[in-house]
Amino acid sequence: MFKPFHEVVSNVSKTILKHEKELGCPVIGVMPAYFPMELIDAAGGYPVQLWGNNLPLGKSDAHLQTYCCSVARSVLELELIGGAKMVKAYAFTSLCDTLINLREIYRRLFPKPTVELSIPFTQTVEARRTYLKSVIRSVVKGLEEITGQRITPDSLAEAAHLHGRTRALQRKLYEIRREKPGLMKNHDFYTATKAGFFLPAALYNEMLEDLLEGLDKFPAPEGKGLKLLLSGLVFDPIEIYKIFDELGVHIVDDDFANGWRTVSKEELQVENLVQGITEFLFNPAPCCCVYNPDNDRHPYLVDKVKKAGADGVLFWYTKFCEPDAFDRPQLINRLKEMDILAASIEVELSMTSFDAVKTRISAFCEIAEG
Amino acid sequence: MTEFKAFSKMKELMTNYYIEAKTTKEKPIAWITSGAPVEFLFAMDIIPIYPENYAAMCAANHQSIELMEAAEAAGFSQDICAYARTDFGAAMTQGGPAGGLPPPHFLLCSTNICKTVIKWYEVLARNYNVPLFIVDTPFLHNGLTKDLIDYTVTQFIALESFLGNFLGRPFDRDRLTKVLSLSREAADYWKKILYLGKTIPSPFNSLDSFIHLGPIVTLRGTRECVDYYKLLYEEVAERAQKKIGSISEERYRVLWDNLPIWFKMRRLERFFEEKKCTLVVTTYANSWGGLSNFQANEMNDPYELFAASYLNVYINWGFENRIKYLSQLIDDFSLTGFIMHSNRSCKPYSVGMYCLQGEVSKLTGKPGVIIEADQNDPRVYSDAQVETRLEAFIESMEPVS
Ligand code: SF4
Ligand code: SF4
Repeated sequence: MFKPFHEVVSNVSKTILKHEKELGCPVIGVMPAYFPMELIDAAGGYPVQLWGNNLPLGKSDAHLQTYCCSVARSVLELELIGGAKMVKAYAFTSLCDTLINLREIYRRLFPKPTVELSIPFTQTVEARRTYLKSVIRSVVKGLEEITGQRITPDSLAEAAHLHGRTRALQRKLYEIRREKPGLMKNHDFYTATKAGFFLPAALYNEMLEDLLEGLDKFPAPEGKGLKLLLSGLVFDPIEIYKIFDELGVHIVDDDFANGWRTVSKEELQVENLVQGITEFLFNPAPCCCVYNPDNDRHPYLVDKVKKAGADGVLFWYTKFCEPDAFDRPQLINRLKEMDILAASIEVELSMTSFDAVKTRISAFCEIAEG
Repeated sequence: MTEFKAFSKMKELMTNYYIEAKTTKEKPIAWITSGAPVEFLFAMDIIPIYPENYAAMCAANHQSIELMEAAEAAGFSQDICAYARTDFGAAMTQGGPAGGLPPPHFLLCSTNICKTVIKWYEVLARNYNVPLFIVDTPFLHNGLTKDLIDYTVTQFIALESFLGNFLGRPFDRDRLTKVLSLSREAADYWKKILYLGKTIPSPFNSLDSFIHLGPIVTLRGTRECVDYYKLLYEEVAERAQKKIGSISEERYRVLWDNLPIWFKMRRLERFFEEKKCTLVVTTYANSWGGLSNFQANEMNDPYELFAASYLNVYINWGFENRIKYLSQLIDDFSLTGFIMHSNRSCKPYSVGMYCLQGEVSKLTGKPGVIIEADQNDPRVYSDAQVETRLEAFIESMEPVS
């Protein structure tokens, strides 16, 4: 059932090139996180999400220090080695200091246009509304210049519906995973999620529909494995999920920026786009990169663990990601206060040896199993 | 460090400030980021406390390692800004100079220096269970725009209401006007002092500016701050007039980009003096002088003027403007080269630096060097590596003619 998804993930460039040709739309590389794909689609672009890759890092070392996260380093590497030739432009958000400066590096190094959705980090509602309005205006203008097409109310509504549907289907997949732990291999699940980063939404939706239909027939498997919830920025490297599969551990839910934090977003409301995008950026799942005290990560995560029936939380730390690193100690303490087991593992997207990670995961699982 | 008579005055000023902060029973305490609009606090008799400044003090006093280790033992990764780690450790152990900082009644944070401070202050807000007010000043990818100014002004007005509600009395705008003019006056003096560095030999060097930075960061908006910098200005101006350099012989004149390396001040000072190299100007110390860049006649609305100043800080600029500015400084100060501190702690200042170095060198024809270090964490610093690189760089420069 997961074969088509694996094929996409194993042949990313080929997949993108094929669809670019079929659609005849300019490919727009989307940097982490929460840039609404809807806007790109509505402008006649083909959004492709870049959450990093596992290229060995070489050329990017001339531009990014080793203390930058591997997400930033690997996406730059891809462009520098000519692996992103089909990407005509980039869409950024002001998620963190690294990405803000990365956009500037791209502007100096490459002729490709960039747009940025600057996220307002204020609690002053009026300020947020007017500023976001101006930001959206400039993003729309930028995208229209890139694609040469106008975003119309109709194209926007259609795109919102399409991507809203994607996330609704993904939520269904998450629900099955929560309710029938073990039915899907962890590695399959994340491959299916990851494939969506590179596929046109309409096609991906069809694939998800088929998958869900197939999965529906199966009951929850017998037997009891350890149930974990993962939290971090990006869920890669997906090789690690094979370790969980080998250990018989079920990831029952997650709190990844490119996982549930995005998947949980409802259909973008386009009648009032400013309000729609505000809702899209700040809700429903909180994120370490999007300041929003009205949506506190602490009670949220505790509640999420309970609802998922998870035996523990494993923080998935993409090395050098400061927004994630700042939150973690207090979150771990909070979980421990609630008698929820929590630990963290350190990962880099470019890592090739998983022995240390495996040892750590095994040790954590042993403790969790008592 | 160049000897200035004003130094004792500064010590007195800073000591009094810390004593008042530690002992006050009446005045509320706000913890605040170095680029936040402190003037609003002074207008309401609130004592501002700067965790960044304190962390720097800890490092300069060689106390940062043990404090960071305490924070790391509590789970804070070595990857996060060393200022934050130092302060977390100080709070956990009651360590650091003067036994730590007085606890805050609320927090004020501005994103013009980095987005990282949001994360840092969120941790503080949880630890102390106090409110956090953020003045968001987005990155100027394309320079200052009306939208950005309006956004910031609206937040200033909201800050006034927040302060009024918090203290239970109306915000004092008349007082703010006075504080603002004092702040601007102090920033003007500070800038004038720094720009005396154009004199050859430079009467005041960057290490001096790092030492004399305390009041402009913490006390701008007070009369004492203006008086102090006026005094210092007069002294520096006299030296400039008499052509007394800050080191005995000046063969090279360079710019320093990024924060100081607080735990290596003395050693680097000796190193540069030996090499006959003056650190003449820094983007870092200049930032507080930049607060006086917009004059009242440029904009009608004082709030807009104020917003423009707080948005328009070097570290918040897109690279095109950074390159222009760096090149301009190199020309204006007759520099022979530039040093960029790739600071592991400070991504907004450092990410992209390799690209800036190349472009600025190309534009000015002056050599530049990047050293890998950290402003507060001696454990990631190597004397040998840094000094070897600096030596090679100094040899590559043409001396001042
Ligand atoms: S992983 Fe963290 S540091 Fe890296 S780009 Fe994403 S949010 Fe920024
Ligand atoms: S050193 Fe850099 S990252 Fe740390 S608080 Fe200052 S500006 Fe932010």
